[in-house]
Amino acid sequence: MSAKEAIYTRHGGKAGDRGKMLAEIMNAEGKPEVLDDVLVLDVSSANFAGIICASLLAEFGAEVIKIEPADGDPARQITPFGVMVQGVGVPFMFEGRNKRYLTLDVKNSEEDRKTFARLAAKAAVVIESFLPGEMDAWGIGYRQLSAANPGLVYVALSAYGQYTDKAKDSARMPDTDITSQAGSGLPAQMGAPPEDPEPLNWPLRGGMWAGWYISGLSAAFGATVALIHRQNTGEGQMVDVAGMDAYSSMVGMPATIGFTWEKARPRIGVLDFILYPYGHWKCKDGFVAIAAPRDHDFRALLKILGLWEQEDDWRYSSDRIPDILEQALHLHKIIEEKTVLYTADELVKMALNYSRKSARSKWRGGGVPIVMKLMTPEEAMSNKQWEVRKAFQEVEDEKLGKFIISANFVKMSESPPRVKWVSSEIGRDNDYVREKYLRD
Amino acid sequence: MEDYFAYTAKLFNPDEANAKPEALKGLRVLDFSHVIFGPIAARLLADYGAEVIKLELPFYGDLWRPATYWGKYWKHSNPIWHNITKNKYFLSVNLQLKESKELIYKMAEKADVVIENFAPGTADAWNIGYEKISKINPNIIFLSCSTYGQFGPMRYFPGWDLLAQGASGVLTLNGYPDTDIYYKLPDYVGDFVPGNFASLAVLMALYHRKKTGKGQYIDMAQTEGLMRMLYHYTYFSVTKEAIGRTGNTDPTMMPASIFKTADEKFLALACATAQQFGHFADAIGMPELASDPRFAETPERLKPENAKALTKIATDWIQSKSCADILKLADAKGFPAAEVADDYMIANEEWRRKRGSVVLFNDTVYGKLLIAGPSAQLSKTPSRTKWLARPLGYHNRLVLKKFLDLCEADIQELERKKVIGTFDDRPGLKPPVYYNLNEDPIYNYGKEVKK
Repeated sequence: MSAKEAIYTRHGGKAGDRGKMLAEIMNAEGKPEVLDDVLVLDVSSANFAGIICASLLAEFGAEVIKIEPADGDPARQITPFGVMVQGVGVPFMFEGRNKRYLTLDVKNSEEDRKTFARLAAKAAVVIESFLPGEMDAWGIGYRQLSAANPGLVYVALSAYGQYTDKAKDSARMPDTDITSQAGSGLPAQMGAPPEDPEPLNWPLRGGMWAGWYISGLSAAFGATVALIHRQNTGEGQMVDVAGMDAYSSMVGMPATIGFTWEKARPRIGVLDFILYPYGHWKCKDGFVAIAAPRDHDFRALLKILGLWEQEDDWRYSSDRIPDILEQALHLHKIIEEKTVLYTADELVKMALNYSRKSARSKWRGGGVPIVMKLMTPEEAMSNKQWEVRKAFQEVEDEKLGKFIISANFVKMSESPPRVKWVSSEIGRDNDYVREKYLRD
Repeated sequence: MEDYFAYTAKLFNPDEANAKPEALKGLRVLDFSHVIFGPIAARLLADYGAEVIKLELPFYGDLWRPATYWGKYWKHSNPIWHNITKNKYFLSVNLQLKESKELIYKMAEKADVVIENFAPGTADAWNIGYEKISKINPNIIFLSCSTYGQFGPMRYFPGWDLLAQGASGVLTLNGYPDTDIYYKLPDYVGDFVPGNFASLAVLMALYHRKKTGKGQYIDMAQTEGLMRMLYHYTYFSVTKEAIGRTGNTDPTMMPASIFKTADEKFLALACATAQQFGHFADAIGMPELASDPRFAETPERLKPENAKALTKIATDWIQSKSCADILKLADAKGFPAAEVADDYMIANEEWRRKRGSVVLFNDTVYGKLLIAGPSAQLSKTPSRTKWLARPLGYHNRLVLKKFLDLCEADIQELERKKVIGTFDDRPGLKPPVYYNLNEDPIYNYGKEVKK
């Protein structure tokens, strides 16, 4: 363990060079792929939650066939500012992992539906995002496919789900990211407080696809639970994901707080409801994120910033929580007056030096205030940590050329996920699929 | 043929969910984790039937037990902690004693999964890390959760959801362009999302173990979990430009923003495809927009100058209509729209309760609490809530007697030696004051209960 690494821990390095050993056993090369016996058909349309679910299964080794009409899934055109490379949008490039592309028009062609049903008879998973009831009306819904293939796991994504009167009444409404975020409670918790000018004080959307990624991840999770049940019993089932559930069901807080408080939380801007200090502050050359919420972390931060004379006023964590917003903002300013005097690097170093002593002390009073330079996604890409962990990968699409994706999102010693190739061409694997699955 | 929604209503009937089989029944998980990231990974397994034994220190407990919103407790418990740790067994042992470690090792022999989220290196230093546990049980699936991962130069840096949001770039994407304010994603999404990724990895390891008999070590970094959600890196590598902050407008669809309606409500509305846009143009009485060369094709609509013009049209129309009218049109014509839902709406909308998106759960200790349902509904092996969080050490007797075959005398000896313990008087740790634990058959498992 280097001196630098010793900073935050009393425990590192006792068992030899654990880091090096781990880097070796987490290498994905030549390892088995966990879902190599699973065939997935992704027939989702204009819905990235479906595409993401399919990608996650593909990264774990499933054979994933993306099925779309000859003019392509409209999702190909869902891309920031319309930016595309040879007709393929950026998110579609990013999610084009380990997939096969087959052209079938299940929406309009009776013949293609038959082909789809033949494939589904051999598949372990079907993923679709048509309007609830559409696939069923076409004779290729869960009801029909599971009759021929009782082991089938059928994942359906929609705005309001596949059952209840509400789902029926709103069956025509497609699912998108921003409506999923809004309908499941994320923007209500983000944005400036009510006193601030419009539109800053409006509910604010998460600046990435929080709705679609949570739905896609939840769908993959549900599908994998279903695959385990299938592995044990041979039985398949239906997995129903509603975009309007995504955020609230994953974090759980809106339901329980709405019930116990009998009202909604207000928006409190950059502050946190539970922890303080827990946010980001301006510094000389940008922003730093600071987390020092426990009492001893907070005291350590005061010492570092030369604010010890404030200790008496903010002694209890209940003094610092934003139930009285004005008071909490006052403390926020007091801290900011100090952070702007230093560069991010200086602040990080000040926290490190303090923490080195306190983490190695047997006395708990010291606290570990955490200070980090706030990074944009672009800055994050050049962090050495991710180079060592292979968190970014340069890939090459045979048509679109080279680009970078984030990959290897979890390290596993025996059956890790991995990106073997990216591709995007419509109908690229028509022959492959027909040869392998449709000859009989 | 039966109506589709009549068929699915039977398939997913929430009233029958608790009688259905559990996909992870029989699996045993030792949960050494604390706060949110690790505990949520373990809870997801418990929701599908795994026996999750949560380990805490006596009279101290999980850091998150007392961490409630604005210091507001509910029946002397932290209301949001129920969602994070429901369905678990709560065992409280003093890790500093040799006898405690032996209890843990004994449990590890029969465990399938171990989950921890201490700062990297800590679990090994305490001899409860992968190195030790995999010697006791070579087929164990061992999940370590951390902010930056178990290896790499930043591995010993501690972190919270905030730091993962800051290190991945997520935090700098929220807010309005040309301002100096960023917002973090709320409600510790930076713990919950990576917790779901981690649990997914455990499921994959279980699937693999069934096929090969082999366990494995899993290293989940919460920052990498968040990074998996950003196509922004690819955008940068293709264009050499950053997407940055775009306020309430999603630059990938058009229109796609949060608007204010005539009755002062907030509403998200989006058109992801030309077809959805056609429906929208029809709904606002301007069908000609669907063939306007600026808007007809999706790539044209997304171009900044056209997007600006279209956002103006959408804003003006939405300002002139009530929220309810717009939602009615969205249902009828088929374009995406949703009112911005807050806590109160989510807790009270009827469809969410009927679907099981939220569940009014009646608990034996705490009574009724509204709790979130799963984000994926399964027809044959659904997720379910069996009990809420419990006071510290509540299941000591049950776990030690049922899973380790200890007798009452053994347990009293362990209590005397302070190997196991329970709660003190702090809220978050103790039971509701009106609740009489002496009459509780689970707390007193295997003992005669006086009524």
